[in-house]
Amino acid sequence: MMCEECGIRPAKFHLTTVMGGERQDRSLCPVCFAKYQKKLPGIDFTNLAGILSGILEAGVNGAEAEENENEARACARCGTSYLDFKRTGMVGCAQCYNAFREPMEALLTRVHGNTQHAGRVPGGVRSGASIRMNIERLRQQLNQAVTDEEYEEAARLRDRIRALSAQLEENAPAGKEDAKDER
Amino acid sequence: MSGEFVEAPHQDVVLFSRVRLNRNYEDLPFSGKITREYADEVVRRTADAVLGSEQGHAYAMIKLADLSEDARSSLVEHHLISYDLLRFAQRSAALISTGKTVTVMMGEEDHLRLQGLLPGLQLERTAELALSMDEMLSEKYAFAFDSQWGFLTSSPANVGTGMRACVVMHLPALTAAGQMGPIMQAVAKLGLTVRGLYGEGSETLGNLYQMSNQATLGRSEEDVIRSLLAAAGQIAGHERAQREQAEKQDMMKLQDTLLRSMGEMMYARLMPVNEMMRRYSDVRYAASMGYVHASLAELDNLIRELQPGSLAVSAGKLLSSREGEILRAKLLREKLPGLVAN
Repeated sequence: MMCEECGIRPAKFHLTTVMGGERQDRSLCPVCFAKYQKKLPGIDFTNLAGILSGILEAGVNGAEAEENENEARACARCGTSYLDFKRTGMVGCAQCYNAFREPMEALLTRVHGNTQHAGRVPGGVRSGASIRMNIERLRQQLNQAVTDEEYEEAARLRDRIRALSAQLEENAPAGKEDAKDER
Repeated sequence: MSGEFVEAPHQDVVLFSRVRLNRNYEDLPFSGKITREYADEVVRRTADAVLGSEQGHAYAMIKLADLSEDARSSLVEHHLISYDLLRFAQRSAALISTGKTVTVMMGEEDHLRLQGLLPGLQLERTAELALSMDEMLSEKYAFAFDSQWGFLTSSPANVGTGMRACVVMHLPALTAAGQMGPIMQAVAKLGLTVRGLYGEGSETLGNLYQMSNQATLGRSEEDVIRSLLAAAGQIAGHERAQREQAEKQDMMKLQDTLLRSMGEMMYARLMPVNEMMRRYSDVRYAASMGYVHASLAELDNLIRELQPGSLAVSAGKLLSSREGEILRAKLLREKLPGLVAN
């Protein structure tokens, strides 16, 4: 599909604008999209990376000290800095996820609504092993939350553990003792 | 409905099912930091592992750098490689199975993109295809994986399962009835997203939509596939009901509209690709209602062959847009009657 603005270049972006209750959809090429983008306030939409780093920014607004701390981070293995990551939305290697663990956790929550893998682990093993690890981790967090009397958080964790346990049973109907639910 | 022509499950509404898994080798830098040397290493070890496996003889290796622009586009038009793979044409490659059901893309945004592709609504089998390739490769090499975040990818948007499952649906009746907006809103609640297959504008070419999962972290592969299957089944049901209703309302009018497109396709002398997609939608709709007797799979295939890149490949040369329109019309005249029984 060609750009609806110039008709010369292939459309790569889709722009939806709502003005006075009127919705307008346009398919645009990068060049024309950039023109529109300048007129739009706030987040940078040029690519998914832009959206991600936009979310990243939005999430840390008002927490400047934390953000400064984040910006000092860099991956020891590939040299990608947190600023590089924010700019491109791409990490440089597997190790970056550890280097940026804290801000990444916040980002993943916003993007996926979750920070807990529940799928397969390498080798095609069904999710059991990874779910079990996650349940274990959540249990520790739950204990901590109860100790700290954060009952809302504890309830949320309890629900997550239940959901994961249910999934574990579902995935392994020949379930063993480890599929036991928590109290 | 013309039962004997419906080869794959739900093919009257669902064109194909596709599952893609993003994977990265743990020990190599990711796409953003990759050097030529490491990119070659990705291709080398993947090709060795796949071609050296038991099913190795069933795969053909394609280096994108060796292909013309048109030949690359043709692969995208046939859904064998992703559009994004073209961005890195100098370093990227693909292993494609003879049945075209499995593709291993190398050198995309992630080291590997493992794809399963089957006609109709067959998501479980499609996922199986991609996952067994994943299993086979991970026996030999370690993929980047984190026990909390799952498979690690260049973009955090894909971590977890690294899986995008998708079904491509033909929804002319729902589109005509203005039902697509509510459907998009409804599936969003299930963590799914619907957009046009070609271009993402409000008016999608050929009434073709792709529905896929949005998040990749926090739900198992099976879970995602199940909700996608359920949603696709529901939407297919609504589409059929809407088609029947349109028929009940005024069958003559419906037949007239749809079959006129058949006439245009059979006799036109100039056929731009956008118009072809519109006519194709009508003819596919007509075929699913039994107004013409044609194999949906063959019809879908013919239309893919007539997309700009594939057309130029079959012509064996670069085509101007005018030449393309003439050749497309000519091939339609020659081939479409052959697809239609009686």
